[in-house]
Amino acid sequence: MTSLPSPDGSHGAPGEAAVPSDNAPVGEPVIKPAVKTTIDTSTGVGDGVNRCPRCGATEIKLRPSVGMLTCLFCRHEWAEARLDETVANTELKDLRETTVGSGASDIDTGADSLITMKCAGCGAEVVVNTAEQMGARCHWCRHVLTVNEQVPNGAVPDGVLPFKITNEQAVAKIREFAGKRRVFADRAFVRDFKPENVVGVYMPYMVVDSNASADVAGTGEIETRRYTRGSENNKETFYDADVFRVERHIDFTVDDLTIEASSERAHMNSEVNTNNVINTILPFDTENAVKWNANYLTGFTSEKRDQDVAQMLPELEGQLLSIARSRVAASIERYGRGVRWEQERVEVHGTRWVAMYLPVWLYSYFHEHKGKAMVHYIAVNGRTGEVMGSVPVSKPRLVAAALVAGTFIEGIVVAILAAMS
Amino acid sequence: MSLATVVDAFGPALLAAQGDAPAWLLILGPAGAGAFYYGVWSFYRNSDKSHSFELETRVDAKAVTGTDVKISEITGTKKSGIDNANHEDHRERVQRIS
Repeated sequence: MTSLPSPDGSHGAPGEAAVPSDNAPVGEPVIKPAVKTTIDTSTGVGDGVNRCPRCGATEIKLRPSVGMLTCLFCRHEWAEARLDETVANTELKDLRETTVGSGASDIDTGADSLITMKCAGCGAEVVVNTAEQMGARCHWCRHVLTVNEQVPNGAVPDGVLPFKITNEQAVAKIREFAGKRRVFADRAFVRDFKPENVVGVYMPYMVVDSNASADVAGTGEIETRRYTRGSENNKETFYDADVFRVERHIDFTVDDLTIEASSERAHMNSEVNTNNVINTILPFDTENAVKWNANYLTGFTSEKRDQDVAQMLPELEGQLLSIARSRVAASIERYGRGVRWEQERVEVHGTRWVAMYLPVWLYSYFHEHKGKAMVHYIAVNGRTGEVMGSVPVSKPRLVAAALVAGTFIEGIVVAILAAMS
Repeated sequence: MSLATVVDAFGPALLAAQGDAPAWLLILGPAGAGAFYYGVWSFYRNSDKSHSFELETRVDAKAVTGTDVKISEITGTKKSGIDNANHEDHRERVQRIS
């Protein structure tokens, strides 16, 4: 283990390695340039035509209840190959440098959201706005064209995890969630509540495998004596304690850490948005993600990725440090008075980044109160059915109920005091 | 539970602990109102919720190593715990060392 410098600059344990001199300020990430390798996850075609493997039709959509693509012409059902078979070709403990799926490559800021595809059926040119949809019907021959090549604007990920929870199941879960929060809900929310308006959205995430080491250092205290001083009516408790310099090191690998790849969704501030509820429904069974096929998105909406690997590295390092701190917790249980961690370091030996669309059923409600607007979400994990949400509160109702509760408690207290006097 | 039962159960203990003027009990009413408001508000808004990635992500870790070196002693402090303990707040970032 390499020791970290103590706050006064000295070492906790004598005879250990030298003190790094380039300490970063609190919370500031340490970003190092990394060698980047790209894994090709493209489909190998770019003609905009995803055909049924049995009959060749292009009328294809996902059937969530079975998680399979269904040909609307011949009813053949199939699934694309699992993404892991393409990208997970190295043991996590052997990960070195930065490996990126081709769908997670840096976004070309000059790339247009509009792409033009030549219809394989009739030769017409069909325009698709990838900011809003990943397919279009040829207006001449009715062929369905879907974006089956990776375009450099972040709209096409390496893989997709198909919806498994159906619309009906999502509606039932949202209705149940909101039903438990009806009494003190904002009256306009109750009046306008229509869970049938739920929308299936494929949200953009980076799924990251990591091989890392972390060091943490701080101060811990163990109580050695506890005693009281003072007279009968003025007793005080005093403590004696031993103080320790505590250092811990951990080597670990993390499989499928899932991080928001949309800057808007990654911005979680409960004062101005409710993005945290979408974050709360994680995790997903990302190991079951399949290779990209735009037909999985038919009937759903999607949000485009706008974050590159380099922009997400600080968040990754922060999460790795949190995981390290969580993992060393069991080793400091002897410090009954607690530990104050003061320094930390993470060394990322290797990472593997895959861009992925993950399925979320989203009910949203725009709420405005005294000029302050906020969109409240109720989100359902499209795979596990886990639900979380934010319901706007009717403050007059809640304040009135709180006053009644407080008055009731105060009444009991006054009665007790009266009985005691 | 009747009021008499409550008085019988807690009255003597409160008197013993606080002498004959436990006026601080009067704070329980406003405190209860505040707790009710905060509890209901949290249940509706869930603004403190987030993905527990520390626990819900697959992690394969080798054995934790480290050192524990006694550096001093404290005697006669009234504080029941270390100042600014953060061993339970895994997401609080501290000084980063490169």
